[in-house]
Amino acid sequence: MISAIYNFALTTGANRVVRGARIEHVCGDPSLGPEKDYAYGMRIVTTALEALATPVMRPTLFDPLAPGPTLEAVHAS
Amino acid sequence: MRLELGTFPVTEIVFGPRTRYEHGRLEVDRDAVRAAVREDPRIASAELEIARPGESARIWPVRDVIEPRVKVEGPGVCYPAICGRDIATVGQGRTHRLAGAAVVEVSSVNWHDAGGDFVETYLDMSGHYGEMYPYSKLHNLCLVVEPDPALGEESQNYAVHKAALAVSDHVAAAVRGLAPRERELFELGPVDPTLPRVVYVWCVHSPQAMSGSPTAFCTATYGLTQLMPPWLLHPNEILDGALTGPYRTAFAMSWTVANNPLLLDLYRRHGKDWSFLGVIVLRTEWTTQAEKQLMANQTAKLASLLGAQGAVVTWDAGGNEFIEVMRSIQACERLGIKTVFLTSEDDATDGAPTMLEPLPEADAIVSTGFFKNSTLGVPHAPAVERVIGLPYKVVAGDRRTGIGRGRDQQVTTSGPLPAPWRYDDHYGFGSLSCIE
Repeated sequence: MISAIYNFALTTGANRVVRGARIEHVCGDPSLGPEKDYAYGMRIVTTALEALATPVMRPTLFDPLAPGPTLEAVHAS
Repeated sequence: MRLELGTFPVTEIVFGPRTRYEHGRLEVDRDAVRAAVREDPRIASAELEIARPGESARIWPVRDVIEPRVKVEGPGVCYPAICGRDIATVGQGRTHRLAGAAVVEVSSVNWHDAGGDFVETYLDMSGHYGEMYPYSKLHNLCLVVEPDPALGEESQNYAVHKAALAVSDHVAAAVRGLAPRERELFELGPVDPTLPRVVYVWCVHSPQAMSGSPTAFCTATYGLTQLMPPWLLHPNEILDGALTGPYRTAFAMSWTVANNPLLLDLYRRHGKDWSFLGVIVLRTEWTTQAEKQLMANQTAKLASLLGAQGAVVTWDAGGNEFIEVMRSIQACERLGIKTVFLTSEDDATDGAPTMLEPLPEADAIVSTGFFKNSTLGVPHAPAVERVIGLPYKVVAGDRRTGIGRGRDQQVTTSGPLPAPWRYDDHYGFGSLSCIE
């Protein structure tokens, strides 16, 4: 699930939660302009695809904005 | 901050040659009021009608219900800053109010054009549907007003609300120089320091995210509706209308905010049962997890700085706004501030919780009932003899109303009507009870 309110998604039991931008534009940010908006959207969607391919044992957050070349799964407490 | 509130009960409204108040009878100069409203070039048409309690009358579409209030002594104006009014801080001196009467803002203007929120409230002056709301017991002066259709949505909103406030000002001015029958002094004076210290966290919707505009029309704090950090208000400011203007439900009217029974009870028992510290007004519908949590943290911090040991929490919205409300409760509890939450409930469809995010810290909740009229099983409101406002109404054709098998339908306003989909008693006015 891609969600701007990711903590809520985690506490209600979604297995793989990707941090979205905002409620009104979950998969991008129009204020960035067309090119950066597209790149941000791609990053969110790519993260979501990687999340699908990642085994999880409990509700897990995947953050497209997390630093580093690989995306790390952050376990909900 | 000391405010004397003088009450003038209204038992009858009639049209007459001049606007005046005498022994409960409010006489209104209809032509003078219409002329005052039409002075604004943004107003295309304005009519004035009277709706009496118990009458077979329906008012549609109802945007706001306003209690006429006027400053007699002290700075500013009642209902400050909204629609370009004086911004001076209110809450001091003396204010006169017309009790048992209201100005009803009747217009086809919608809140904004972004979808989601739309004006849906109609009011009946008699019958089971009318009795669900406090307004059917009021003598209502209805301003049926339409703006220049060439104007943008926000200008239309401000024009018609300004017009309704002009009517309120006009009739309230009739009691400015009179001696009130009832007077009540409101002051947060020093009290026994052993009494528990309580704050009221009053959450109000912001239309900014949904409309895309920081200046969209809604319940306003000194005229502002945008997403902003929590305000600290003295309860006197609210009695003078610093928090005012409608939102989408019948219980989110200016009248309801000014007469909020929870606020008044918190205030009147100050020094007896607790020490009332003031009101934190929190805007809701932030649109990221971080913003929601930040506002919750800051609300709790503000309550803590005030020395609160307890907080009473209300809200006026639905959906994702529940998160910052609930997280504020959690943040208060984690700082050692006990909370009580007043809320309506969703229905428990498919075993889902009746609250969106039931956090364990929210362990003292008062329910005001289901918010959907369909869950409450409210029957259609019966046909009426007289309609004030528009002769037709569009009703949503779906399971909520049982009309039209999915298609919206235009129906005659005077005929039997389904209740609007939300009931949502935000502040505990409700007179509904249940049979088991």
